[in-house]
Amino acid sequence: MNLRVVDSGTYSEPVQQALERVLVDRLAAGEIEPTLRLWYRETPAVPLGRFQAYGDEVATDYVDEHDIDVVRRITGGGAMYVEPGAVITYSLYLPREAVSDDVEESYAELDQFAIDALRALGLDVRHEPLNDIAHPEGKIGGAAQLRTDGAVLHHTTMSYELDIAEMLRVLRIGEEKVSDKAIKSAEKRVARIGDHIDASRSEVVDAMIDATGEYYDTVEGGLSDDVIADARELADEQFTTDEWNRQL
Amino acid sequence: MDHRGSVKVPDGKLVEVTVSGDRRIESAQVTGDFFLEPPDARTDLEAAIEGHSFEVDRETLLEAIESVDARFIGFDTDHLVEATLEAIE
Repeated sequence: MNLRVVDSGTYSEPVQQALERVLVDRLAAGEIEPTLRLWYRETPAVPLGRFQAYGDEVATDYVDEHDIDVVRRITGGGAMYVEPGAVITYSLYLPREAVSDDVEESYAELDQFAIDALRALGLDVRHEPLNDIAHPEGKIGGAAQLRTDGAVLHHTTMSYELDIAEMLRVLRIGEEKVSDKAIKSAEKRVARIGDHIDASRSEVVDAMIDATGEYYDTVEGGLSDDVIADARELADEQFTTDEWNRQL
Repeated sequence: MDHRGSVKVPDGKLVEVTVSGDRRIESAQVTGDFFLEPPDARTDLEAAIEGHSFEVDRETLLEAIESVDARFIGFDTDHLVEATLEAIE
């Protein structure tokens, strides 16, 4: 299968999340090719899981004081804290028929190229069901998917050198999780790529793009002005509004 | 008054149900870090929980929740029933 690789474009968090909607819909409509997109962010932010309660997950006063964008995703899963240059986020937009119907299997399959790349760089990582990328010292990253009639969106965020102390100020660790000691330690135990290997962030990204060659015929590409314009409009209408971000 | 129940699925996700009402579930909200396809099925699940008495039995709730056409990922219908029963306990 051909895979277009988009490794450019820096956007605000609302535009990033709007791009997910626009690109998965365009793929389903046959208007774009299967695509891998690497993300470049402008500011620290919190991508919130689609079904999470805002007040449960985010230290609301802290994010207000520090102007941290909290943006609800179109995918389920958990909240993360992200900083430009300190995490690696990628998205795959694929035809539904190219992805396993077994959801658990598909998480493992779609993160495999990234795991291959990290392992080749000397990092001891593996897929941990359902949707985590794990290192012996903690969780490196997590994925989330949305399945529509014709397409699958799979996006993953990994920590490269995330400020963990800041993450713990921004995110509220859920009471239910805190009450379970095993879970508490798992949640707080974030492992960072940069702590374990010498490669720079961009070297890791390059290795990941190279690793896609094992699974896809890759070509370099970019987003059309039309896609970006649609995403900016959708960000204004939806992903910057309290009606969406604070609906729960 | 709001009542909340929550279940942490072993190796899975957190499912929370918040209900308002006194002897009957007037409204319900389902939240957590789970996955659900299609995502809009969340409001159907809430509707399936609403209207029941606080004395509702497990089988009745399960039947109502299972009537919703949705794919649960990282949790299942039993977890949702469990969280609801805890909320109205």
